[in-house]
Amino acid sequence: MPLLDQSLVDSVIKRALRSGADFVELFVERKRNQSISVEESKVQRVSSGNDLGAGLRIIHQGTVSYVYTEDLSEDGLLKTADLAAQVGRRGGGRFAFGDLSGAPHAPQRIEVAPETVGADAKIELLLEADQAAREVSGAVRQVAVGYGQSSQEVLVATSEGVRHADVRTRVRLMIHAVAERNGEIQTAMEAPGLQRGFEFFDETSAAEYARAAAERATALLDAAPSPAGPMAVVVGNEFGGVLFHEACGHGLEADFVGKGSTVFVGKIGQPVASPIVTAVDDGTLPSRWGTLAVDDEGVPTRRNVLIQDGVLVSYMYDRLRAGQQNHPVTGNGRRQSYQHLPIPRMTNTFIAAGAHSVEDIIAATPRGLYAKKLGAGQVDVTSGDFVFAVTEGYLIEGGRIGRPVRGATIVGNGPRALYKIDMVGNDLKLAPGTCGKEGQGVPVSVGQPTIRISELTVGGTGVGPGGAMRQ
Amino acid sequence: MNPIGDRVLDRSRQLGAEDAELYISRGTEFTVRIYNGEIESLVSAESRGVGLRTFLEHRVGFSYTSDTEPDALDALVDEALLNGRYNHADEANVLPATEMAGAVAGLASPALEQTEPQRKIDFALEMERRATSLDPRVRRVSDAVYSDGSGQVEIYNSRGLHATYERTVAYGVLETIAEQDSEMQSGFAFTHGRDIGELDLEAVVQEAVENAAGLLGARPVPTARVPVVLHPHAAAMILGVLSSSFSADAVIKRRSLLAGKIGEQVAAGIVTITDDALLPQGLASRPFDGEGVPSRRNELIVDGVLTSYLHNTYTAVRTNGRSTGSAVRSYRNVPEVGVSNLVLKPGDISREMLLAGVDNGLHVSQLTGLNTVNPVSGEFSLGLTGHWIENGRLTKPVKELTVAGNVIALLRNVVAVANDLRFIFAGGFCGSPTVLIEELPVGGL
Repeated sequence: MPLLDQSLVDSVIKRALRSGADFVELFVERKRNQSISVEESKVQRVSSGNDLGAGLRIIHQGTVSYVYTEDLSEDGLLKTADLAAQVGRRGGGRFAFGDLSGAPHAPQRIEVAPETVGADAKIELLLEADQAAREVSGAVRQVAVGYGQSSQEVLVATSEGVRHADVRTRVRLMIHAVAERNGEIQTAMEAPGLQRGFEFFDETSAAEYARAAAERATALLDAAPSPAGPMAVVVGNEFGGVLFHEACGHGLEADFVGKGSTVFVGKIGQPVASPIVTAVDDGTLPSRWGTLAVDDEGVPTRRNVLIQDGVLVSYMYDRLRAGQQNHPVTGNGRRQSYQHLPIPRMTNTFIAAGAHSVEDIIAATPRGLYAKKLGAGQVDVTSGDFVFAVTEGYLIEGGRIGRPVRGATIVGNGPRALYKIDMVGNDLKLAPGTCGKEGQGVPVSVGQPTIRISELTVGGTGVGPGGAMRQ
Repeated sequence: MNPIGDRVLDRSRQLGAEDAELYISRGTEFTVRIYNGEIESLVSAESRGVGLRTFLEHRVGFSYTSDTEPDALDALVDEALLNGRYNHADEANVLPATEMAGAVAGLASPALEQTEPQRKIDFALEMERRATSLDPRVRRVSDAVYSDGSGQVEIYNSRGLHATYERTVAYGVLETIAEQDSEMQSGFAFTHGRDIGELDLEAVVQEAVENAAGLLGARPVPTARVPVVLHPHAAAMILGVLSSSFSADAVIKRRSLLAGKIGEQVAAGIVTITDDALLPQGLASRPFDGEGVPSRRNELIVDGVLTSYLHNTYTAVRTNGRSTGSAVRSYRNVPEVGVSNLVLKPGDISREMLLAGVDNGLHVSQLTGLNTVNPVSGEFSLGLTGHWIENGRLTKPVKELTVAGNVIALLRNVVAVANDLRFIFAGGFCGSPTVLIEELPVGGL
């Protein structure tokens, strides 16, 4: 069933154009969610929701106005079109908008639509995972397991006659384990997810992820406080890519570039990283968390090389910034929902694989920190300064992995750290995440192989690996 | 009664629900974003959505929808009841006893609706214009936004509750860029109120410019253990991290730093923390919580002693306590336990007097990585920017430093609290004055 009748789409756009707008775009969205949580080994909550709404964007001489509504009746939409025309203001600027080009890809293939699977089967998976985590050790005190699915249907229709649609179906598992011994508490989490149907669980063992989380929480009980100070840091693959995403990726988004608020302004064609670094944003990867047939402006996604062998190749654009900056579109115009304006966003962003094995990298490091898993982080896009928590970390001593450490953070500057990457591994993996910007959360993948950064500041409560802290 | 409320509660009853509760939310939004003297974007909208909880044999079902057409409302009831069938039965799953909440004065400003859009646009334009003319090093603004909205909440339940309130809010948000040589620093500030008339244009401009320009030339400093002064915003961010630990739900699930510590001295004697949903200037104030339970002022830490956790109806029944009116939610979620306006009580001394007591220390204006704090163990290692303090005065700017410790140890080591209370959004609406911490390890060069 189409989200909205074709003739209604046409009449809404026509109505909004009456104000003399240069451009009108209607975005219609229906999103169905289901989530299930198991806590204290009991089904705590099965809940579901239905979001349905539309957003209307009109542009007058470079000035953007946006109106959204949950009322998709003919009356409601035409009223919204009138409101959009009324709030639309004449800007002083020139209207330039990136051209839509290319045919849209097909939506990701889903074998078993998750909404056709009963809650019983999902609950069974979660209870198995809960059991598996609890069996890991007597120290495991709390386990919370969750399942989430969402199916987002979108329609993008513009006054240029474009009518593109996409369906994004996602399933995800979340496991949170708490271990406790002698009053000391440590936690660990795992959260795999893909754009797949329920067949995702044919290849993904919920119990295995649960055991991994419980084992890590338990192991952390034996970890010593992390040393502090500058040292070599080996950042693990997969979610380790969050470091590049936050500390460099955002600085390559064309809205920041257009405002001159990132250090990457004017650096196209120039070296910005060590020559062993190649970084890519690819919205076309099969089944990935940030993959789209078309972006939320109807632009087909593509593979965009951002940095090739250390040289800056491209920024990431939405249509508005592509037009303003006279650049082809890249398929990075995204929004959280019909309630939001599209802005340049990442899709699946990663550092490409290099030559070294993880073992080589560790063996080549006399001393430092192996930040095998990173957790949350924060970055100042303007300066590029970042902070990340290390959720699984080990000391590296004499080229070997040593004792586990806890409470470590890594602090540094993204653009400078890019030059300090001196080894890139061959174990590229991607992980799902939700990226926040201007109050909008969108699903993305981050990723990288294991990399070594020759020096970063490590924050922690212990003393440096060489002995006392340096004054 | 409202036709949506009638329809949903009637159908819930007909299909066998013993109890049901409908949460309806409606809102308006107006946001204008300025760049380079022009409107970059303008958003104007009205939105709504409903969330339903059904209760049957102590099993709760939940579903929500933004589609309020009759068919969608019927499907909402069916889904909630279906979802409830799978959930475990818990005798603590009940609706609260119906109690009428008093009104809270001044939550909604009638002026908000009457303000001409042009005045709002002019406010944002003026923020940008002034911000670029105060300091020669600040010539650009990366974000100048005026935003306001009104929100109406209605709760209906099968126990006869029908409660409603309306709240308005207006903001000005400004982010500037300071440049010198090849260095760039950004400075953020915001102003808030119930309508545009309560916004302080001059102060937000001054602060955003000073925050950016003041950091130019910032350098790392050697590692040391020194007294640390937290700017009200930095201290309020830490309150935000602590906020989840006051939740009785987190205590029950052993995810709270404060579990099992009622009656214990968890902080220095000068620390008193309250969660007050009736605070007149609090942007999170409301007459009743997400289940319709009347709001109240909850003392959480009094003179350093932990006196109470926060409860919704479920955690109250489960622990034989009483709801503290702390159910927080949107229509998309069931009521969880959370803070409203969380406040560290101001002391008697001015910020200048507090600083005067520090010969050699660190003033922290901004903490980064607060989302990395382990909420269960309380361990943190954060990035920070700020200034060195020499003889009671802020001197050279510093950056790329880390500060490590534990939230509980931090609370125990508070040695002075000033009287300059300020608020930010950090989980809840969190307010703190300037705070002096006895000593912390600061990692740098």
